[in-house]
Amino acid sequence: MTSAVFNPTIATLALQALLGRRRFFLLLAFPVLLIGLVAVVTALTDGAAAYEILPRLGYPLVLPLVAILAASSVLGPEVDDGSIAYLLSKPVNRYGIAISKWLVALSATLVAGALPILVAALITGDGTRATALFVGAAVAGTAYSALFLAIAAVTRHAVIASLMFVLIWESLLGNLFTGVAWLSIGQWGLRIGHELSDQLPDPANLPWAIGASAVVTLVGVWFAGDRLRSFSLRGED
Amino acid sequence: MPEIPTGGPRTGVIHDLGYRRYDGPRDGSATIARTLFTTGLRHAYGLGRSGRSKVMPFLLLAMSVLPATILVGVLVLTPATSLPVSYADYTNQTQLLVSLFAASQAPVLFSRDLRHRSIVLYLARPLGATAFALVRWASMAVALWAFTLVPTVLLFVGALLAGLDTSDQVAGMLKAVVLQAGLAVLVAGITGAISSVSLRRGFAVVGSVMALIVLTGVVTAVQAISASEGAESASVGVGLASPWSLYSGLANAWDAGITTQVPVDGAWVPAYVLVTLLLSAGCLLGLVARFQKVGSR
Repeated sequence: MTSAVFNPTIATLALQALLGRRRFFLLLAFPVLLIGLVAVVTALTDGAAAYEILPRLGYPLVLPLVAILAASSVLGPEVDDGSIAYLLSKPVNRYGIAISKWLVALSATLVAGALPILVAALITGDGTRATALFVGAAVAGTAYSALFLAIAAVTRHAVIASLMFVLIWESLLGNLFTGVAWLSIGQWGLRIGHELSDQLPDPANLPWAIGASAVVTLVGVWFAGDRLRSFSLRGED
Repeated sequence: MPEIPTGGPRTGVIHDLGYRRYDGPRDGSATIARTLFTTGLRHAYGLGRSGRSKVMPFLLLAMSVLPATILVGVLVLTPATSLPVSYADYTNQTQLLVSLFAASQAPVLFSRDLRHRSIVLYLARPLGATAFALVRWASMAVALWAFTLVPTVLLFVGALLAGLDTSDQVAGMLKAVVLQAGLAVLVAGITGAISSVSLRRGFAVVGSVMALIVLTGVVTAVQAISASEGAESASVGVGLASPWSLYSGLANAWDAGITTQVPVDGAWVPAYVLVTLLLSAGCLLGLVARFQKVGSR
């Protein structure tokens, strides 16, 4: 009997689902694209111009997209084709399932989302700024993966719903209304990174950013487990 | 004993159990294609499907209409001589919503038949794989065009009611409608090709978002950097790489009210037109090839 919080078998299966076949290349495309673009621009112009790509493209778009892809890969296909029923028919702790799958999604987000941001930021120079951005990306990636896992456990349209949160709420409305920063995972990460380097913006206050990130992470994973407890299969709509 | 019909060779397409034949008039492939087109168009907006599949398209449509409504309200209440944003630029400004609509609805039209193998049933009818793919694509393109057309028409009606100069507004609106048609053709091709290859909805959506939103973000960043570095032709040239930069470049060249980093003029204009046409044709060929391959298995 494995422990209630982490189930290595489920984590292995989730990892296989994540890295299986073409999905792996889709996941790999993001870091290659980001680092390649930043490296080319740095070589052609200078680090200052290349750095602009990170807060405009890498951090608000690539990081959440990697998190969406990871979170929906570990849970989405099973919900989509109904094979999750076989997993849920086993006497395995539902929160254990959620935590195991979340840990896999989190590692993928950190490796394919946050790490490339660190590498790209280091290419543009200024190690402190790069570390700060990496810390922000790691915090945001943690909260993102938990939130998107929770969304994947609720709806079949998880990818679109998550994209709408990132693209419309955080990017579109976040650029129009500064108040959105208080309810934006990406901005919380930036606020925590701001403690390390002044080059990052200061959108909300620090205790709020830390507390809100922690709450979203914990509640997200708990909620995913809770949804799996009372899961009902629905047909294609 | 029922008498087995003997008049002529059996022409039943799927199976013939020897029941009484239908002797009435038969509609040809054109009717099948037309019905398929209408059904596809309705399904793109979730009409004729469950209530939950109507949520996403109409939510996105409502979000893209809302700013137009506000603009019309401002236009009516304040004295103004022109719209604050041109018709073509409105579509450009709401490109996130248009891209999300395309990404979320293309799998409905292109993935489900292939994934659940119901394509075999469709192709057992006289409509071939090529025609099927083209009709599906036409549904998607018209659905996208309608998505951009609704706020445009709303703005146009509002502008006319507010008493703006009619000839200016008609010219701007017609330009925008033509540009949107080109955009719809291109985006429907891209998302259709992606959704027909990547059959899981989630991955099809992420793939389309990469092609439409991430690629456009990369292109815009590179364009801005090259423009600020003084490499103007590089800035225009990079614009050939993403559908939205093609759209705004063409609108800029046609004087439809979109400002790009560097104006698109001279020989760049035919290049933009050519790339748009080639890209659309390439996606369409890929789509047809994909349906032929899956349909023949």
